[in-house]
Amino acid sequence: MNEESLPVPLPASAVAPDVSVVVIVYNDEARLPTAVRSVLEQTLRNVEVVIVDDRSTDGSYDVARRLAVEYPGRVRAFRLERNSGGCGAPRNHGIAQARGTYVLFLDSDDVLERNACRNMLEAAETTGADLVSGMCVRVHVDSRNGKEVKWYPWLYARTRTLESISELPDLLVFDTLSTNKCYRREFLVEQGLEFPVGIHYEDLLFSAQAYAAARRITLIPNRVYDWNVVDKAVAKSISNRRADIANFAHRMEIHRRVDQLLADKGLLELKFHKDVKFLKHDLVLHLRDLPFRDASYREEFAAIARDYLESIDRAAFDEVEPIHAICAYLLQKSDWDNLLPAVDTLTNRDKISSPMVERDGRIYWCAEHLDGHGDGDPDGDFARHVLDVTELGYHVKPVEKMFLRNVLTGYEEAQAGTVRLAGRITNPLGVIPPGARLTGELEFAARRKGVRFQIFRFPVATLRHEGEAIAWEASADLARGLRPLGIVDAVWDVRLHLDVDGARTTTRLTASEPGLADGQLPVRPRLTRLVADHVTPEISSRGHLSFRIVTREKVDALVERGVRGAPGRFAKSGYRKAKAVRRKLTSGDTKIRLYHEVFSRLPVKKGLVVFESHLGRQYSDSPKAIYEEMRRQGLEFEAVWSYTGSGPAGFPADATLVRRWSLPYLKALAQAEFWVDNQSYPLKLTKRPETTYIQTWHGSALKRMGFDEPEWKLRTRPEQAEQQRTLDRFDRFLIRSEHDVRTLARAFRLKEKTLLRVGYPRNDALVQARKREEEVGLRERGALAAELGIPGDKAVLLYAPTFRQHGGRQRRFELPFDVERFADTFGDRYVLLVRSHYLNHVVLPPSVRGRVIDVSAHHDVTPLLALADGLITDYSSVMFDYALLGRPMFFFAYDYEEYVHEGRGTYFDLLERAPGPVVRTEEELHTALASLDEQAVKYAEAREGFVAEFGEYDKGNAAQSIVDQFFAQWRRG
Amino acid sequence: MTLVSTDPQRDVFFVSNSVNELGGVTSWSHQMARLLTGRGHRVHVVGITPPGVVQELGEVPYPMTTLYAGQPPRPGRAREASMREQAVRLTALFRAARPGAVVVVTQVWAMEWVAQADTRGLTVIGMSHESFEYSKASSRFQRVRTYYKDVDRMLALTREDADLWIGQGLNNASYLPNPLPFMPEVPSPRTEKAVISIGRLHDQKGIDMLLDTWAEIAPRHPDWRLRIYGSGEDEEILKKQCTALGLDNSVDWMGRTSDVPGALRGGSVFVQSSRGEGFPLALMEAMATAVPCAAFDCAPGVHEIVRDGEDGLLATLGNTGELARRLDTLMSDKELRDGMGDAARINIQRYTTDEIVRKWEDLFAFLER
Repeated sequence: MNEESLPVPLPASAVAPDVSVVVIVYNDEARLPTAVRSVLEQTLRNVEVVIVDDRSTDGSYDVARRLAVEYPGRVRAFRLERNSGGCGAPRNHGIAQARGTYVLFLDSDDVLERNACRNMLEAAETTGADLVSGMCVRVHVDSRNGKEVKWYPWLYARTRTLESISELPDLLVFDTLSTNKCYRREFLVEQGLEFPVGIHYEDLLFSAQAYAAARRITLIPNRVYDWNVVDKAVAKSISNRRADIANFAHRMEIHRRVDQLLADKGLLELKFHKDVKFLKHDLVLHLRDLPFRDASYREEFAAIARDYLESIDRAAFDEVEPIHAICAYLLQKSDWDNLLPAVDTLTNRDKISSPMVERDGRIYWCAEHLDGHGDGDPDGDFARHVLDVTELGYHVKPVEKMFLRNVLTGYEEAQAGTVRLAGRITNPLGVIPPGARLTGELEFAARRKGVRFQIFRFPVATLRHEGEAIAWEASADLARGLRPLGIVDAVWDVRLHLDVDGARTTTRLTASEPGLADGQLPVRPRLTRLVADHVTPEISSRGHLSFRIVTREKVDALVERGVRGAPGRFAKSGYRKAKAVRRKLTSGDTKIRLYHEVFSRLPVKKGLVVFESHLGRQYSDSPKAIYEEMRRQGLEFEAVWSYTGSGPAGFPADATLVRRWSLPYLKALAQAEFWVDNQSYPLKLTKRPETTYIQTWHGSALKRMGFDEPEWKLRTRPEQAEQQRTLDRFDRFLIRSEHDVRTLARAFRLKEKTLLRVGYPRNDALVQARKREEEVGLRERGALAAELGIPGDKAVLLYAPTFRQHGGRQRRFELPFDVERFADTFGDRYVLLVRSHYLNHVVLPPSVRGRVIDVSAHHDVTPLLALADGLITDYSSVMFDYALLGRPMFFFAYDYEEYVHEGRGTYFDLLERAPGPVVRTEEELHTALASLDEQAVKYAEAREGFVAEFGEYDKGNAAQSIVDQFFAQWRRG
Repeated sequence: MTLVSTDPQRDVFFVSNSVNELGGVTSWSHQMARLLTGRGHRVHVVGITPPGVVQELGEVPYPMTTLYAGQPPRPGRAREASMREQAVRLTALFRAARPGAVVVVTQVWAMEWVAQADTRGLTVIGMSHESFEYSKASSRFQRVRTYYKDVDRMLALTREDADLWIGQGLNNASYLPNPLPFMPEVPSPRTEKAVISIGRLHDQKGIDMLLDTWAEIAPRHPDWRLRIYGSGEDEEILKKQCTALGLDNSVDWMGRTSDVPGALRGGSVFVQSSRGEGFPLALMEAMATAVPCAAFDCAPGVHEIVRDGEDGLLATLGNTGELARRLDTLMSDKELRDGMGDAARINIQRYTTDEIVRKWEDLFAFLER
């Protein structure tokens, strides 16, 4: 290649620089010196700069030459003969000119971190890697608070060296930059590595080639490269369409070349990871744009994408979220009617945008494609696999918890200031039944954080079922009805609330075609009418309709000055201060002070009892049993129950209900004569000596607890003392057996005098049920069986596993066995109740309806235990309670070793002591369940021994005996 | 160590809180000072203040300077004025050095003074002699982030710790391990049925957890004894705990020892139950004496020193049941003890003084490039 260069004579004795940094520039004279300076100011001194100008039309090359003159021997400047229009040609030229042992690339608008060269050199020399890669940070230069976003930080969490890229496919798949890397120059030369020229996205191919060729790659967690990002990019317009399609075509071509490279190198595993990422990320970026594009763009896009999708491994569809797979599948089928709604869900994750269909006990995204036709999927197996959304649990959601797609079908300005709107709301699986009473209203609210104090509503005139959707029409007289305060509230969001037989669901209006909503409407702001008196419809990036107040041009500058200048600063600082005061007043610390310094000085109220179960999450367990016994005996006392979460549903109506941590809650605790709870009241609250705390606890222990847990032991002595103070609040602690004394009482370091050997009140019902059964000779089923619709001729099994911690945010608990297979095998004999731990959540497919029932929402487990003819558990403490019934128990301990050894350990070996079969696999479980009666007999003795050991004080009168001991004085008369 | 290197001979300053405060940092800096002196470098050890508790140093072949005669004024204007004064003295010391001189700041508190001195032309290295996590729980964390931000190299003890500091924005962080304090001629014969623990009787060393652990295994090994060396403020509480757990007839409280190799030779297994460590010398010493270790994996330095399953056994921090199982494994199997003990003595030699001194000289040279 020809080039002009400034001849810089080099002393023959010059030592080769450790690192050459190739800085490429095109029409960027202003920023070039900053980039170059970031190299010259490196902590590693032995570094040279090679500037390559892509034939700029501004003064970039002059700037480069001046720098070369200023720093002889450290900076050299080159210029390509012809503009290449890309990054590839100048970088290739830089490689050819570089003299350093290592080479880095820097763009003229970015900068290197000060220690970048030193850190990369150290890594390269210690590990001998061909390629060292460090963390890149995207710096949003025009953001007000210096926003910085790390580029795939999980790849750079720690230093690691790879012998081959196949050890970490995500590196090739995600970090496709060429600039945050340091290459051994000999490596580039020997491997003939060059950037492709004449095509965009050259980094993707170059980095893939380098990764694949490198003998060793070292990753360092150091920040090395600041990628300066300008956010105020020009808004997309239709004229960009050609360029966008061309870019997309370039991207696909690069992808094809990378795939070819991977195939040539035999790196098939990497290709698979790349496919997964394509479905999850690359495709999504483009799909999200589709609602804003016209039909011809969509067709061209689909044609290019379809072609590439053919090369994607079908197994990759299993590795992405269902909605990603669905969108890719529908795009491949060019099924626009189903694809565009699916894209809405892709953009708005919790939105339900398709009517769905139930078939053969499963839920599918759409009715189409399920039977397959031709091309590689003759029976529709693949389609059904991809479109199956049963696991997402749409079929068990009530309408008020759904976020339904509401697509705008009509928008017109009827007369001055009135807009007439029409749309269709998705009705998934007929959740809105044909006979339902429907009302609706449109709501206009200002988009702002904090309090929305101005909301304007307009009725929805018509609402009716129309095919699979609910069609609606409304007109809103904005000129009269919408009275914004002024330009402070510039954007107004529109929502449609739909009431279905009294249950409310809220939708946003989605514009599914570009150009549907247009024009300006007059409004009358209360203030600032002179500067703005019109609104114009605007579609948000999520595709939702809103309105923006139109300001006159001059005004914009005025507003800008107001907001950014002194008045704005003043107003904002006042606002922030007010917010800080409010935060402080409502903070936990303030509340705790209030409890100690105010409420605790009030007199204790005789007869006031505060109850709580599982930190207020439930009305259940022994506190409930004690409370009910007190009511049964007609005691005169004042009951307060604490609740938390969405509301006090399910809590008793004849008690005062207070939200946990609310002021009434704290006041009640401070004045209570008794605290009755099964877990813990807030740790920071000191109990008054006049208050008696009855700690019922919530189960005997298999797992190590309290000071027997590693986490507790690790605490320092002062922390342990602090913890002990919270435990010493217990005045009484209920004990079911000497096992509890050896485990819980010891682990909490409780004094002997606090131990109350009366058994658990919650278990009275179980002991009594067994007695009754033995007396009558018959097992009675109560109201719960009817409520759950359990036929009399079927036995009831309860599956109650213990809580399992799952990594990350996924809270769904997956059953460790195939529930459909279970129903098919045992459905004629058993009804299976599934109760996941209250922190986990389970979804059952419609196919098992009536045969397997999710009972996780039931607060109280005791009635479920009483109902069940057999229990399946793993390590849950319900085993100790259920044993009291003398009915068969099954231990499905599929992960026992992991549970016991990787967790905090157990007090005894369940495998030795379990009073029932311990099974490890689904097969073994099925075999064991074949006969309940046989198991009942076989393990009868073992169960008695188990009860004697773990429940010796559970005699059926625990609640009564507690009332006798503590509350007898409140009996009437 | 009479071998004089061919590398350039430098002026090296070690700057610590005190030149002779009792503790690991003092032992480390004087060990390094002697080694570098032996290699022909000109070493000067500087302390900011006199120590609280003195560590006996004996004769040293290099000069030592302590800036303050007593404690510096409390933080505030007087402190700042005195710091400027003392910085002038430091500057004078530094200016007198030959080109290529290095300042090694062993503790971040001392860095507050060095930061005020003129270090132009010198290479400044700041060290954190504890694990990242342990530092994070103390006030040193913020000070490391502030005062070591612009030094030429910040040094942690392991790669893992360095990476964590880098994650906090200390982009100049790297690491160097500690050298082996001694290599005894005679290894332990591993004939006595005794488990050895050496460490101050202080919360950090987790002797309370060791007693809980011992309570789980002692009944199964009535012929074994636990020998706890060390003294400290928790002695009384710990002895009470020991009695409460019924362990008095299998635990020996040995008090502080000045003969660590001798103590180690009297045992067949070493146990460490600390809540936090940096790059624990006690483990290195046990391994050098060919005593296999069971330890809580409380810091990157621990799994750096002990190769779990190869020359020792590690347990999750705080999980006394697991530590008990590890001890049980070693105590029940003589062949395993011998195998791991011998492997430990060989493997630990990657931290011999020659190795570590070479790494330091390489680092000095690298930072000049």
